[in-house]
Amino acid sequence: MSAVWRASRAAVRRRRLQTAVIGAVVLVSSMALVVALGLLDVVSGPFDRLFGQAHGAHVVATYDAAKVSAAQLDRTAHRPGVRASAGPFPQAVTAMPESAASQMPGMAPGPLTVVGRAEPGGAVDRLDLFAGHWATEPGQIVLALPDAPGMAGGPHSPIGKRIQLPGTAPLTVVGLASSVSGTAQAWVAPQQIAGLHPTTYQMLYRFDRAATARQISKDTEAVSAGLPSGSLVAHQSYLTLKAQVAAKPNAFVPFLLAFGILGLLVAILIVGNVVSGAVVSGFRHIGVLKSLGFTPRQVVAVYLVMVCVPATVGAVVGTALGGVVARPLLHQVFQGAQLGTVNVIPTVGPWVYATTVLGMPLAVVLAALIPALRAHRLSAARAISAGSAPHGRRGPAVQRWLTGVRLPRSVTLGLGLPFARPGRALLTVASVLLGVATVTFATGLSATMVAYGDAVEGSGKVQSIVWRGQTRFGETAPHHADAAAQALLRGLPHAADVAAVGFLDVRMPGRSEGVTIEGVRGGMSALPGDLARGRWTRGPGEVVASGRFLAEQGVRLGDSFTLSATGGRQERVTLVGEVLAGPQNWMRADWSTVTALTPHTQANQYWVQLTGGADVSAYMKAVRAADPGLYPTEKTTVNAGAVTVISSASALTLMLTLVSAMGVFNTVVLSARERQRDLGMLKSIGMTPRQVTVMMVVSMAGLGLVGGILGLPLGVTAYRVVVPMTEHAAQLTFPDRMLDVWHAGTMTLLVLAGVAIAALGAVIPARAAARQTIARVLRTE
Amino acid sequence: MTSEEISGTGRGDGVVVVRDQAVVRVSGLRKEYGDTAALNGVSLEIGAGDAVAVMGPSGCGKSTLLNMIAGLDRPSAGSVHVHGEDLGRINETGLALFRRRRIGMIFQFFNLVDDLPAIDNVALAAQLTGTPARQARRRALELLDELGIADRRNVYPAALSGGERQRVAVARALMNRPALLLADEPTGALDSHAGEQVMDLLLDLNELGQTLLLVTHDQRLATRCASRLVTMADGRITGERTLERTA
Repeated sequence: MSAVWRASRAAVRRRRLQTAVIGAVVLVSSMALVVALGLLDVVSGPFDRLFGQAHGAHVVATYDAAKVSAAQLDRTAHRPGVRASAGPFPQAVTAMPESAASQMPGMAPGPLTVVGRAEPGGAVDRLDLFAGHWATEPGQIVLALPDAPGMAGGPHSPIGKRIQLPGTAPLTVVGLASSVSGTAQAWVAPQQIAGLHPTTYQMLYRFDRAATARQISKDTEAVSAGLPSGSLVAHQSYLTLKAQVAAKPNAFVPFLLAFGILGLLVAILIVGNVVSGAVVSGFRHIGVLKSLGFTPRQVVAVYLVMVCVPATVGAVVGTALGGVVARPLLHQVFQGAQLGTVNVIPTVGPWVYATTVLGMPLAVVLAALIPALRAHRLSAARAISAGSAPHGRRGPAVQRWLTGVRLPRSVTLGLGLPFARPGRALLTVASVLLGVATVTFATGLSATMVAYGDAVEGSGKVQSIVWRGQTRFGETAPHHADAAAQALLRGLPHAADVAAVGFLDVRMPGRSEGVTIEGVRGGMSALPGDLARGRWTRGPGEVVASGRFLAEQGVRLGDSFTLSATGGRQERVTLVGEVLAGPQNWMRADWSTVTALTPHTQANQYWVQLTGGADVSAYMKAVRAADPGLYPTEKTTVNAGAVTVISSASALTLMLTLVSAMGVFNTVVLSARERQRDLGMLKSIGMTPRQVTVMMVVSMAGLGLVGGILGLPLGVTAYRVVVPMTEHAAQLTFPDRMLDVWHAGTMTLLVLAGVAIAALGAVIPARAAARQTIARVLRTE
Repeated sequence: MTSEEISGTGRGDGVVVVRDQAVVRVSGLRKEYGDTAALNGVSLEIGAGDAVAVMGPSGCGKSTLLNMIAGLDRPSAGSVHVHGEDLGRINETGLALFRRRRIGMIFQFFNLVDDLPAIDNVALAAQLTGTPARQARRRALELLDELGIADRRNVYPAALSGGERQRVAVARALMNRPALLLADEPTGALDSHAGEQVMDLLLDLNELGQTLLLVTHDQRLATRCASRLVTMADGRITGERTLERTA
């Protein structure tokens, strides 16, 4: 065993407490880092893997069959930049009847995009045919559905069921397939597609360069160049799909990464402080090592190994725990995420664990190197004599000034203590500063997310949602017609307002996928307060939609566009508002807009707002008694996404606050050890244990106050940087009222959080110092 | 001499004088550290105005005895009464208040706060009792003046000589007018000249009525300042005699 290792081991044993602090700090920081890096990894990892395996289409292009021929499109495959292509496939948009949709889980009534395709494989968009077989002859159809339990077989499997599409003979479902590119909702054999009256061709392209939207746009223009004007009616980039898949996880990345960075900084600061303290308090030890023949490099090595041991243990355990913590969080984040119709299952890549396990100890060793180099420079004689004579420096003027301040002397002594070791005081302030910044950031984030969750879930607006029973689901049909049911619900005791809500599937010109309009009739006060920008609809011809809709459809507030219903009616609408949450293919409109498109649309649910303090259960009972065909449910007011953000932010804040307090704890331990002679003397002249505790706690509380004052703007800045990134990633816009989270009272409390963190970290070692036996200390030199 | 025999009190220059009273009464004192007995049945009485020197080889228990009397450590058995107070019955806070009111301590290595100038080191003892800073500094300056180092009041310990540091420590010890001044090797870290100065100082204090307990290896200090010599070995008192002070 080398001398360095022996000396390091002895140093670790002698500094059990500080070793434990380093280990704990690195452990917590490693956990936060694994979660943050893991999330970063899974945001792009599963998509890239699945997309690569399936040779997904970089662009799905839809051409007007009336303007361009199949032969012309065939030639686009040889254009420069095209690596592979598939098609042209004839494409028809028909309607899935409600009777058929109700028999097939996962299928919705309304517009259905059907593509005529000879095989599921090919150079682009290789479909995952996970049940049945491909449609090889007329009368057969393959549906695009996610591979869910019970889908491929069993009583609820669509396989073998027949669908009657408009204008054609019944088709039998012979297979189920998933497409990562979401190229169609159903496929039939080329011989069958003519019967569905296709009006467009579908071309699938993979390009040599497709990393950015600009490259894809240029490539799409290049392949369409020379084709008749207006023949390209729609195209969809894979980047849009990727953004959709990553929208939810991406919303978590900025703030988790912020926590990871804060954790890493705190860890580095604390380790620097610990090692610096170990060097200062170990001057005599360093002198002894050097007098024994240790070279300066060996002395540095002793200190680095001393830190490396707990850092490595902390990193390994923290990484393992981080993996355990990350798993449920990632599953929560990716719940329901699909790529096309392929389910996305998040798995953290091994590089995340490797980076953390190796990177954290490395960062710690680098943090330790600077103070350890001080041991390198120190001469043996000076090191050995250190501490046996009064240090030569004068106390700073502030200590002199504090002597005369009208506060208890234990308090003024405490306030003056940090000035004796300004370097350590600065490191401690930085540690508290980061702790307060974390708390500030998390407080702001949580306040915004609470407001978001309340707005999206209509907290305080809707207490119950009443569904109209549907016989196809084995439910009782309501006795009351739509309008009568709304009137009935409004007339029941404790009902304040009732909105009738119905859904209508429509199409936007140039878009292959349909859009759902949520029509609202009456009961405006029952609508959730989730307007982000613009205004609510005031009458017919106006719609509001989510930020995801705006991003997906490429429209802005004030834009007008035409909607087409299945029956052929068209209505021009204007986008007047953006709401906080909603799918990318969803809009909300006044009932008159819905009836203009489909006159006899019926509501299928009612949103009920009750009077204050009303018993929701009693109201629901009254509804069931009034009409057994109405099915009331209690409205949840919990937004899962907001809860996930708040709970994970709270857990990480708690961890980092504890780490920050550990930094203070370490400082007080070092101070008490270095000042045990002073403490002994103070006790000998009558300082009580309580006064000793007060002095030590106040010494840190003062630093905590400084850390709080400086940490507050840092936390606010982090919030102002991270929240817009979250908005962008999640494709939503928080209204100003949700970002207005900083008030005088809150900020005062946040500054005081610095004092609380410092006091929390100081109180235990301060009490220990107060209880210390002093008789021996006073004679030790 | 007992506490019932108090005949009166008076005030010297900065020193409370209590005459004809047993200031310290130690009875059957034992202190064990593991298997080792640092004190093994020590009994001692010190009257008001006495100057007692305790001598003996290293490890004989003399400093342990001093710590017990100062309430800095607790005995394993036996009792310590100082000014009528049974220290064994007082909790830690009570002991701190006791030291504040009754005890002044001088150490071999001075134990001054390096970050404070001389005057603030002295004033500290009074400020801990709640005395306002201005008042405490005024009294500290008086003491420094009496001890002849008023001109060094704003100097930090690192810039003071050994003798000056010990004078500052003595001033601090006298700040709250203690009934008992305890000195643990007060000249042990000083050169002969500075040692002489401190000896003179202690002698002057005792002559003004200050009760004094010295722990020392220095025969000259004992014979110069003490009126009684107690010798110890292996945790026991092995001898006790009255001294004729030498000039």
